[in-house]
Amino acid sequence: MSMRNPLARVRGMGSSGGGVHHWRAQRYSSLLILLLTSWVLWMGVSLAGADYATARAAMATPFNAGMTILLAGAVFYHMQLGLQVVIEDYVHMAGLEFSLLILVRFACLAAFLISAMAALKLLLGA
Amino acid sequence: MSTSKRPVSPYMLGPYYKFQITSVLSILNRLTGVFMSVVTAPLLLCWLIALASGETAYAGLSAWLGTLPGKLVITASVFSFCFHLFGGIRHLIWDAGWMMEMPQVRSSGWLAIIATVVLSLIVLAAGS
Repeated sequence: MSMRNPLARVRGMGSSGGGVHHWRAQRYSSLLILLLTSWVLWMGVSLAGADYATARAAMATPFNAGMTILLAGAVFYHMQLGLQVVIEDYVHMAGLEFSLLILVRFACLAAFLISAMAALKLLLGA
Repeated sequence: MSTSKRPVSPYMLGPYYKFQITSVLSILNRLTGVFMSVVTAPLLLCWLIALASGETAYAGLSAWLGTLPGKLVITASVFSFCFHLFGGIRHLIWDAGWMMEMPQVRSSGWLAIIATVVLSLIVLAAGS
C-alpha cells in the first residue's frame, strides 16, 4: 500500500488536464481553416496555371496577403497538432519520438514565418 | 487469460480485420492529413517562395507543375484536401455530440465520400 494520495500520483503524469488545450486548439484551428476554405479554393482555381505577373498582382492586395498569413498560421499550427498526435500514437522509441516532436514544431514554426515573410514581400513589392 | 493466437491491435490490419466504413474513413483522415503535411503544404510554401523570389524561380515551378508528376501531386492534393475537409466537418459535428448513431455515422461517411469526389472534380475542372 502506498501512502501517496491519488492526486499526487496523477499530477504531471498523463491525464493532468493538459490534453484539453490540445484538443480545443485542434478544433479551433480547424474552424478557422474551414472559414478560409472558400478563399483557398477560389485562389487555387483562379491562380492555377497563372503567369508570373498575374500571380504577383493577385498576391499584392492587402486582403490576399492578410488571408495568406492567417491561413499559414492556422494551417501550420493545425499541422503541428495533428502530426504530434500521429507521432505520439505510432512512434514508441522515446528518443526518436521526442526528436520528431521537436522537429515538427520547429519546422511548422519556420514554415509559418517563411510564409508570412513571402506574403509581406509580395504585398510590399520589395 | 490464455495466451492465444488472437490478434492484438497492431497486427489487426490484414487477414484478421474486416474493413468498415468507420475505420477506413478514420484512417483516411489521418493519411490525407499526413500527406498534406508532407507534400501539399511544402508545395504551397515553395509556390509562395518562388513567387516572392522572382520570375525565373516561378517559371521553373510552374513548368514542373505542368508535367505528369506535378499534375499527379496536384490531383492527389485536391482529393486529400477535400476528403480532410469533409472528414473534419464530420468530426466537428461529432464533437458537438450530434449524428453519433451508427446509421447516421455510416450515411455521413458515404456522404463525405460523395462530396469529396464531387468537390474535387469541380475544383480540378475549374482549375484546368
